[in-house]
Amino acid sequence: MVRGMKKSKSKDRESTKIRKERVKELLTSLGIKIYNDLDNQIFPELEIPSRSVSNIVYDKRLKQYILGDAIIKRSSSNMRHLRSFTQLVWLAFFVNKLVNEGKTSTLRDIYYSSQAFNMDFEDQPESDHIITDLEALISFAREDFNIYPEERSSIFGDLTIEYTVRGYEGRRLNLADHPDGYLIGPSLSSAEFIETSAEMVLAVEKGGIFTRFVEENVHKKFKALIVDTAGQPPRATRYLLKRLHDELSLDVYILADGDVYGEHIAMVIKSGSANAAHLRELTVSDAKWIGVWASDIQKYKLPTDPMTEADIKRCYELKNDPRYQLDIWQKELDLFIKMKRKSELEAFAKYGLTKITDDYLPEKLKIANSL
Amino acid sequence: MSKAFSEISPSEFFYRNRDLAGFTNPTRSLYMTVRELVENSLDACDAERILPDIYISIKALSEGQDPKHYVVSVKDNGPSIAAEYIPKALGKVLYGTKFTLKQARGMFGLGATMAILYGQITTNKPVKIVSAYDSKSYEYTMMLDIQHNRPVILSKNEKVSNNSSGLDIEITLEGDYSKAQQKIKEYVAQTALITPYANITFDDPFNNKIEYKRITDEIPSPPIEVQPHPAGIDVETLRRLINKELTLISFSDVRDKVKKELNARTNQSADTLAELAREKWDRLSRDVKLITSLAVLLSINLDEIDKIRIDKINPNTDEASYITFDERYLTVKLQKIEPFYKYLLSIVEGDTLLSFLVKNFQRVGESTARKFLEYVKFDEDKRIGTLTNDEIVRLTEAMQKYSEFLPPDANCLSPLSAKFLEASMESMFKPEFVEAIQRPASAYSGFPFIVEIGVAYGGEIKEEGIKLYRFANRIPLLYDEGSDISWKVIKEIDWKRYKISFDMPLIIVTHICSTKVPYKTVGKEYIADRPEIEYELKNGLRFLARKLFLHLSKKKHAEMASKRANIYSRYLPLLAQFSKELANASRLPKYEKLIRYGKRYEEEQE
Ligand SMILES: Nc1ncnc2c1ncn2[C@@H]1O[C@H](COP(=O)(O)OP(=O)(O)OP(=O)(O)O)[C@@H](O)[C@H]1O
Ligand SMILES: [Mg+2]
Repeated sequence: MVRGMKKSKSKDRESTKIRKERVKELLTSLGIKIYNDLDNQIFPELEIPSRSVSNIVYDKRLKQYILGDAIIKRSSSNMRHLRSFTQLVWLAFFVNKLVNEGKTSTLRDIYYSSQAFNMDFEDQPESDHIITDLEALISFAREDFNIYPEERSSIFGDLTIEYTVRGYEGRRLNLADHPDGYLIGPSLSSAEFIETSAEMVLAVEKGGIFTRFVEENVHKKFKALIVDTAGQPPRATRYLLKRLHDELSLDVYILADGDVYGEHIAMVIKSGSANAAHLRELTVSDAKWIGVWASDIQKYKLPTDPMTEADIKRCYELKNDPRYQLDIWQKELDLFIKMKRKSELEAFAKYGLTKITDDYLPEKLKIANSL
Repeated sequence: MSKAFSEISPSEFFYRNRDLAGFTNPTRSLYMTVRELVENSLDACDAERILPDIYISIKALSEGQDPKHYVVSVKDNGPSIAAEYIPKALGKVLYGTKFTLKQARGMFGLGATMAILYGQITTNKPVKIVSAYDSKSYEYTMMLDIQHNRPVILSKNEKVSNNSSGLDIEITLEGDYSKAQQKIKEYVAQTALITPYANITFDDPFNNKIEYKRITDEIPSPPIEVQPHPAGIDVETLRRLINKELTLISFSDVRDKVKKELNARTNQSADTLAELAREKWDRLSRDVKLITSLAVLLSINLDEIDKIRIDKINPNTDEASYITFDERYLTVKLQKIEPFYKYLLSIVEGDTLLSFLVKNFQRVGESTARKFLEYVKFDEDKRIGTLTNDEIVRLTEAMQKYSEFLPPDANCLSPLSAKFLEASMESMFKPEFVEAIQRPASAYSGFPFIVEIGVAYGGEIKEEGIKLYRFANRIPLLYDEGSDISWKVIKEIDWKRYKISFDMPLIIVTHICSTKVPYKTVGKEYIADRPEIEYELKNGLRFLARKLFLHLSKKKHAEMASKRANIYSRYLPLLAQFSKELANASRLPKYEKLIRYGKRYEEEQE
């Protein structure tokens, strides 16, 4: 074993299993409550935290959006609620089976599976909505009950994992074995971390830069795990970043395009999104945004494109967002607004393909660590 | 230079002003021709209570571009016209049988003749008329002498025919079918709608036959001709009524009657006549009494009476003025020989006002007449023959204004009936909802009218928005809808109150029947605003809007109820099943009662 190799704490190693058990418990007790009510000729009711805009508040201490105290009562006696009530219970039943059988399902699968049970969803957004209801009801993310979105991002670097998915239990894999990286899917998400030589995680916005970093041995040079977020990272990726941070104590650095959307990718990894305000397990609050800052565009004389109306509007929106009130976030937004120009990560190629790994990355990491 | 005066005939007048009657251009004229002929046929059938079979045909005489020559023919199974009247009825304007106080489609004695006139001036072709009447068939070809308002017969054929009666009129005219066809088809369809007891076939220029079959054998009860209502009178009409009472007959008309009743010779002296007449005075007819009285009082014999013309008899001075055979004008004092003097005076002075009013007007009995005469301050015993011009005007104005007369008799009207309007709308539109109403008879300016309205909604009516079908005296009105009183009323109703919105598929039918429909033009296209008619329309429409509202809310209720039943019985069993599996239970929960509770619970919520 290489010196300095980190091992996941054994307490955390059990985390996946424990979480699944907890989810199953919650689902079963939901079923029992409803069963008993029906059996006693009582219309069952459910209380779900309200996800309406007025109930989404920013928690300064947690540095993320959370739900307030407002509760929505959904009663099966109400003609207008009965359908979605039944959909929710069907979903609980369905994912309970998934978890028990160790199977996973995509959002789209859920939409189609419902039809086999004589349940009707108008369209996929409706079934997605019910999935979010279930998340809010039991306060677990859908990944915890084995539902994953289609979008996938990937990871590469020296990390040994052990599968927990059915049929692969106990099998191990090192994530540096395949230069294209590994998809962050259900089996990787639910795997246990065994050991790693990495000291940090580098999350980059784009596949192209991810590949460049692998080619340039960034993982070795910087002792890093490289994650391609593929734009705004899916929740499974955010969840994985959090686990890497919490279980392996790795620092997380974020590198995205030099525009307002890039800045926001970093912010969502750090502080979460309003859409997931009902969940608390998705943020890495001390992750660091290392670039590309508006000031970097000037400093490195990057080629630029003009910002669109929409870009500028988005800047002003974010300026008022409670997550953006800290120094650097405001300063960079102001600078974007002033310059009205933006640059992509690829823009460094103007100064040679390795400019970004040779100069930019080390300089920015240094600055980040000095802050 | 002196100006030359000249006079034109009525036909000349309408020739010059044919757009007054709707014959403005080839498009409009083609439509008007069909319309005038069809309406005449329906009028004729109605009058004899014959179930109408109407066959309309329009054929082009040549290929090529519109406007061009078309032959329009309309054939009916009505009573037709006696041969001797055909030329005048159809060849003279302002000649007809409908100038009466009862409802008919025609009113002016103009329609058919105008169509023939228009055909003649645009194609110079004669009209062909085939009439089956009294087991003979007559065929005329005829043109009009427009300057003199008279028909010119080109040919006349008479054949024995065992055809039942009917009239077939064939007019060649310049028309524009491509532009007129939409209106003509619409006209035929709407005529079928308002005449559900008729078979109507339309054979178009492309040999397509559109057929409307009758849906009932019941003809609406016929209108009865009535006396005028006092409020509908004008000075001229009143003067005519008075003069009719006062007419002196000419001797030549009654010569034989006098000789027979008196058993007298024409050269017998006045004294002898007096003798003869006194013997059987009470048994003599009015005419004979009058002639004898004149002869006795002027002291001349019957031969001489035949040769003079009475100019006037003045009851105030007891003088008679007359023109002799050799054109001398004489005024003589009347001798006061009874009973002749009193009788002549009663004829000349006429009835008392009281009995004149009672005899000549509807809704006027003795006590009404007496009250009215007190109101206008006329002596009830005043003789109508002594009324001066000013007094006639004063009397007319008072009759129009007096508000105590009962409303006019509506027996002269022949509405369709709510039942048939509804049935007809049902069969034509196949709606989800239909209801019709007939409002009680009302009157404007002394003319009775009845309003009928129907409303149909949904079903096979797909077009969104309100579609209005207007009818007057069972004629569809197709032009100038925007100016019509019905639209005005529709716009004024607060539909929102009835939860009816303008994007619903809705058909409204309005039908106004009157002895005098207040058209704004001779073209009979739209109806002027009369507050009385507006009132009836508005109330009728509100009533039907309420009915539709009830229907819609009932329907919504039923839909809700079945949806409710559906929702609980659809989802509760699933809920039971899923919870059973989740809870790992061995049997389903006993949820069945909840389905019933659920329905009740929701009902209470509403
Ligand atoms: N098809 C027919 N059968 C029997 N009589 C008819 C027919 N057509 C017309 N007449 C007679 O000819 C007359 C003249 O018809 P015309 O259409 O000129 O005038 P109208 O119908 O009286 O009034 P309007 O000008 O309003 O149409 C009618 O009053 C009617 O007596
Ligand atoms: Mg007519």
